[in-house]
Amino acid sequence: MADSKKPRPAFAPWDRRELPGMFDVEETARRVGHYKWVEMRLFEALGGWVATVPELDVKLRLGTHCYKHAWHADLWNKRLPELREMNTERLTVPPNDEFVTFMDAITEPEGPDQTLEKLVGVYRVLIPHKIAAYTYHLNNTSTITDAPTMRSLRFVLNDEFEDWRDGEMLIQSLITDEADVQRAATHQARCEGLIVKAGGIAGPGSIGSTDVAVPEEVTA
Amino acid sequence: MAKVVVTPETFAFVSFDANHIVELTGKIADKVGLPADTEIRIEIDETTPLGRTKLLSLDPITLAVEGGSFEDAKRPRQLSDTSVIDVVGRLLFRAKDRLDAGFAAAPDDDALTLQQHTAWDTYAVGRCDRAGWAPQKKRRLYHFRNRHGFTDVADAAFDRLWNADGLTWADLEAACAETEAARVPAG
Amino acid sequence: MKKILPPEELARDSRFVRLSMEDRFSDRRSPGGGGSTSGRTGPTKLTPDAPQAPDRARALMHGIFVGEIQALEGAGRTCWDFEVGPHFDEVPFALKLDMARQCWDEARHCEISIKLSEWMGTELGEFAESTFLYEAACNPDPVLRLTGVNRALEGLAIDVFNTMREFGQSAGDPVLEFCEDWMLADEVTHVKMGSDWLRRITEKDPDRRERALEFQRVVDKLFSLGGFRGEDDDSPIRLARKFREMAGFTHEEVDEISDLSKQARAEGEARLAQANAS
Ligand SMILES: [Fe+2]
Ligand SMILES: [Fe+2]
Repeated sequence: MADSKKPRPAFAPWDRRELPGMFDVEETARRVGHYKWVEMRLFEALGGWVATVPELDVKLRLGTHCYKHAWHADLWNKRLPELREMNTERLTVPPNDEFVTFMDAITEPEGPDQTLEKLVGVYRVLIPHKIAAYTYHLNNTSTITDAPTMRSLRFVLNDEFEDWRDGEMLIQSLITDEADVQRAATHQARCEGLIVKAGGIAGPGSIGSTDVAVPEEVTA
Repeated sequence: MAKVVVTPETFAFVSFDANHIVELTGKIADKVGLPADTEIRIEIDETTPLGRTKLLSLDPITLAVEGGSFEDAKRPRQLSDTSVIDVVGRLLFRAKDRLDAGFAAAPDDDALTLQQHTAWDTYAVGRCDRAGWAPQKKRRLYHFRNRHGFTDVADAAFDRLWNADGLTWADLEAACAETEAARVPAG
Repeated sequence: MKKILPPEELARDSRFVRLSMEDRFSDRRSPGGGGSTSGRTGPTKLTPDAPQAPDRARALMHGIFVGEIQALEGAGRTCWDFEVGPHFDEVPFALKLDMARQCWDEARHCEISIKLSEWMGTELGEFAESTFLYEAACNPDPVLRLTGVNRALEGLAIDVFNTMREFGQSAGDPVLEFCEDWMLADEVTHVKMGSDWLRRITEKDPDRRERALEFQRVVDKLFSLGGFRGEDDDSPIRLARKFREMAGFTHEEVDEISDLSKQARAEGEARLAQANAS
């Protein structure tokens, strides 16, 4: 029988988690506050749209997805005090004015004939950007100190992937001719342009930076 | 074509057109296979939105219907051809059965059990289906299950009655006995 | 997107037809409108051996189905119409989360109802839709809205689901009974949300609480529909005391609804008697 008193390493040989992470507590709280803000705006809009969409399958999906984003907002709301932010409202803000403009464009379509625009804005622009920012956070935070955020990110990402697939399939089923293709593309381009200006759901640096330092050419 | 009389001739509570009902009924009677000189009376109680219907007598064939049964369920007070065909087709097939010797032993409608009533309706509506009137088969199946049990035996009996022609009262009674034996008393 | 979407703008596909106010009020066949009731004294209990029970059950469940759509839409609009905050026209964050949760539940109720319609042989949109539930969900005061919808109308849903669950049980319809059982569980949760938020938000505002309860009384009376819902043996829809108390109604509050129902029944019977006599 194994000796239960025999010392073992605290990190098992297969546990490769490391201490360093890209974000300190303050930066993590800043990001989480932006996440909560965007999840709230999203669940409110999906809820509001339910009554404006005549397609029964879309109506029911929006009602279902509405709850998931509200739950994400709640996860982020509960994480903020754990990140030393007791006044959660203080950080429940958009990253910048450009992002507000972007969300206004996303939630602008209202008429019963604008289901395609509603879905394209959310499922072809916003949700892919959320998946990107959440993935960046998940892959760059400290796997030891920020494990609670990572756990929530994994739950949230799981929902985002599932909902993105639902939304994308609804969009594909609504696009039946060239005019629809153009409508979808036009709205997508407009929204994409606006989120580029905002820098993503957490502002510039939402998914890090791809700039690399290139040594200056040396001349004699 | 059959001689059809609809009462009342004009309607105050609903927007029905008596002439249109006469015309529809004549066509339905032909398809059901009633003789050309058959007299048919339809008495409509337009003052109620309920939907009960009844075969009152055979000579002349008299149908008593509550206004709701001829109405468009989506548009209150408007006549629906589909509803008229659904009710009149079913009742005329039942009238035709009663005029046949094979149904001589059938009790009066008022004395029929709910199971016998529904079995007979199923047999009648199945023939409406084959007449091209596309009745709501699943609605009828639900009705049948409510009366004859939510069992495989009941479903098989439904299919048989729906697809049948030339049945007698004894056949309907046999179907009822069969589903009765398979019915589990609800707990 | 604007705040407060009027009922006329609820989006539906071409299968659905709305019952207009004019249709509702100009139908002279309704009690008091001069139509005969063929000797009946009022609505009758829905039992499996009633002559038109399956069709009545189908029509009732279709009414529930469109009610579920409107409950979904109403909860969704409450997520959108109010900002988070302490002011009169604002709501707590947690209330919005509850409404989002209700959206999911009502979306499932729609899914359940659609499967149930298929089972009962009902086509979607087969019957006209009236928007009374959503109309209560347009109240600009969030407390009145929640009290009218979650306590009065969802309370009625508890009564209906409980009655239909029993109907399914005695008819031996396993699918109907199963569906009602699950929806009943969710509705108890929704009514409890309404009860909890009413108490919490109006804790220090007795006037507002009274206005909300008055709005609930108006809606409750409207949907006692001349004795349609009550505690009598022959009430078509039975008041589900046990489940209402689970959902935060006090014994006295259920008594009050029971009295309202009796009153509505007496008024309905008087109207019928008058109509039959004239
Ligand atoms: Fe519901
Ligand atoms: Fe509900």
